[in-house]
Amino acid sequence: VSQTVTSPSETQGVREPASGRPARKPRGRAPGEPRNVAWFYVLPGLGFYVLFTLAPLAHTVYLSFFNWDGITVGTYNGLANYRNILGDPNVRDAFKHSLELVLFYSIGAVAIGLFLTAIMTRFRVRGMTFFRTVLFLPQTVAVVVVAQAFVWIYAPSGPLNTILSDIGLGSLTRDWLGDFTWALPSLGVAGTWITFGLCMVLFLAGAQKIPMSLYEAARVDGAGAFREFFSVTLPGLRNEIAVALTLTTITALRSFDLIYNTTMGGPGGTTRVPSVLIYLNAFQYGQVGVAAAVAVLLTIIIFAVAFAITRIGDTGPG
Amino acid sequence: MRDPRRAGALAAALLAAVAAAGCGSTPGASNNTTSSTSTGTTSASTVQTTGFSKLGNITLKVWSADNQDPGPEPVIKELTNEFMAKYPNVKVVLTFKGFTDYIKVVKLALASGSGPDVAEGNQGYQIDGSMVKAGLILPLTPYVKAYGWDKWYSPSTFQQFQWTNDGKTFGQGTVWGVAQFGQSTGIFANTAKLKSMGLSTTPPTSFAAFEQLLAKVRAKLPASQPVINLGNKDGYEVVHLWGMIDGNYASAQEARNWIFHKAGATFATPGNIQALTTLKQWAAANYFGQNYNALGENDAAAQFGKGTGVFYMGGNWQAAVIQAGLKNNVEFYNMPPGKSGKEAAIGATSLPWHISAKTKYPDVAAAYINFLINSPNAASQMYKQSQIPSVETAPAAQGDQYLTSIAQGWQRLVKDDGLELFPDWSSPSMFDTMGAAFQKLLVGQSTPQQVAATMQADWVKYDKTLH
Repeated sequence: VSQTVTSPSETQGVREPASGRPARKPRGRAPGEPRNVAWFYVLPGLGFYVLFTLAPLAHTVYLSFFNWDGITVGTYNGLANYRNILGDPNVRDAFKHSLELVLFYSIGAVAIGLFLTAIMTRFRVRGMTFFRTVLFLPQTVAVVVVAQAFVWIYAPSGPLNTILSDIGLGSLTRDWLGDFTWALPSLGVAGTWITFGLCMVLFLAGAQKIPMSLYEAARVDGAGAFREFFSVTLPGLRNEIAVALTLTTITALRSFDLIYNTTMGGPGGTTRVPSVLIYLNAFQYGQVGVAAAVAVLLTIIIFAVAFAITRIGDTGPG
Repeated sequence: MRDPRRAGALAAALLAAVAAAGCGSTPGASNNTTSSTSTGTTSASTVQTTGFSKLGNITLKVWSADNQDPGPEPVIKELTNEFMAKYPNVKVVLTFKGFTDYIKVVKLALASGSGPDVAEGNQGYQIDGSMVKAGLILPLTPYVKAYGWDKWYSPSTFQQFQWTNDGKTFGQGTVWGVAQFGQSTGIFANTAKLKSMGLSTTPPTSFAAFEQLLAKVRAKLPASQPVINLGNKDGYEVVHLWGMIDGNYASAQEARNWIFHKAGATFATPGNIQALTTLKQWAAANYFGQNYNALGENDAAAQFGKGTGVFYMGGNWQAAVIQAGLKNNVEFYNMPPGKSGKEAAIGATSLPWHISAKTKYPDVAAAYINFLINSPNAASQMYKQSQIPSVETAPAAQGDQYLTSIAQGWQRLVKDDGLELFPDWSSPSMFDTMGAAFQKLLVGQSTPQQVAATMQADWVKYDKTLH
């Protein structure tokens, strides 16, 4: 039905350029330079961006200079919040835990994604579309659901421990999310599971752009699967890898929902990450200024890391 | 766009817009209500305890975090219906939320002006202290006199509702709330299991005798089964257990002084360190099994009800779920006293009821609170849901031995001045600090001295903001 209906405004919009208005002599504008009217086109988007992204960001920076409990009148205290968090071992630990998660969310996921891409490009896999869809699925599931699933998998009498006991590795069974050493890596594995599908889909798309002639040339020169991967596929995926690293690193650094729904920073603070600290300070400790300061610090770090990764992706051939 | 001047002007305009939207006035300045404006609007002479029908049809919004069902929620609902039957022109709209969600929104709701008329808070600096400081709730002085609320509780029980008007000193000054239920911690024992091991089900009469009983059970039980079913996912749960041990070495007064930030108070007392040492020994002796970090408090209590562990040491608020599983095979008793001969354990009243500083009907709100706690049917409604009335003048539970022992447990702690209150009330971040420290202690990653030092450091950091 919608195809047959044409609103008056639409038809008018189509006709207008065709009416052949004489070209206005523009002043001070080189041929081909965009007209200022372009600003009107971006205005709605820009307006929302300023209102919902830039303004809250500016407000967060502003709040980070205050000692404020969220209710009574706050007092300006300059850089004291920043001094306090930089000297706080809990905050330093939280950022260290975050970096450990990057290894899983980002490096681990990219490695698995590349491995799957290598297999899928080298060999004909029956039911490729099916596997691609299944492997991408974790990316589409809400993290709350993923968190509940992993709580169940890691439970003392859950499937992981059951399998370990059944294959004679009973000595390895433990309370994964309650273990001081293993809680953070266990969450990391869940993170890898969430992000590797995205990496794989990016790489598979990228691999299709690599000319077949390069693969043919490599095979004529007698390259094996390994040589072919490292000489043809990997360099051809440079940009996709940069994109994947950027996206997954940001996901890792700001991860909150997975931790909130599993360990809430425990046991003994071993899985506490900056976003959990922000949450606790803002909503439980009545330290909105401190929460804002940690948030600003986290934002700066995410910007710096993302910038560094894109620089690596941009340099070099390709 | 190649014109740099125009680009600069646009960027400047954008920045100005962002700055204007982002900054503005000092945070919190717009919803500032000082307690001085609300204090003294009501005095004892003007308090109305009856005759609300003149007000016409009014609505009272009430917020509660006591949403356990079975448990407190049906009690509050039933008594609210009785209140509305008594005052037909008053419509009470009840809102229940889970505790962790509740404490994040209640202050903001009270500050907003469209929030509840009557709301529960939480003892301690995180909620009650900051509500008093921000002038969000009314002092209850005139109502304490009008209704005789001071006869409900012993002076030391009353302290948990008292704050100086600046919200900085806890445990003395004006009364800001009163509460319904008595919530203390004690020992639940699976009598069927004790009998099957050939052990007596008569409650031990001293702390030492209880420790011997634990050792005997450990010796008879397979190593894979815990003696005490502990769930310590959040870290606070084992603190309840520690509080019972602490009663053997230290007085409850000492614990309260620390929570109230009395000058010179410290957590690193010889008694506390000894109790931490004993707790660590219990963990090392495999009394708690291996999976307590994966288990939450409610799951542990439910598991105990289904037969895991011989003891459950925790809150009397778990009484219903435990009895639902174990039926007649469960008994409850307080931790038997140590050398002092007096019982002491972690315990307090339930969440205090407050009246919003912005309510139009403070007198009706006070009448409602009075009704919830002490109306003729209040106690029997509470017993029906295995809840214990906090007020000392309440009638005793009839007939049921289990419920009677739980009610007597609360009353004996009150009589012995043995309520240690909850250590996490001592600072807004103590809940997390304490939980993490205790979790480390149990796995042997820190010493009793380190736990005490960590908690004391948090206490000192917050103490500095109070002076």
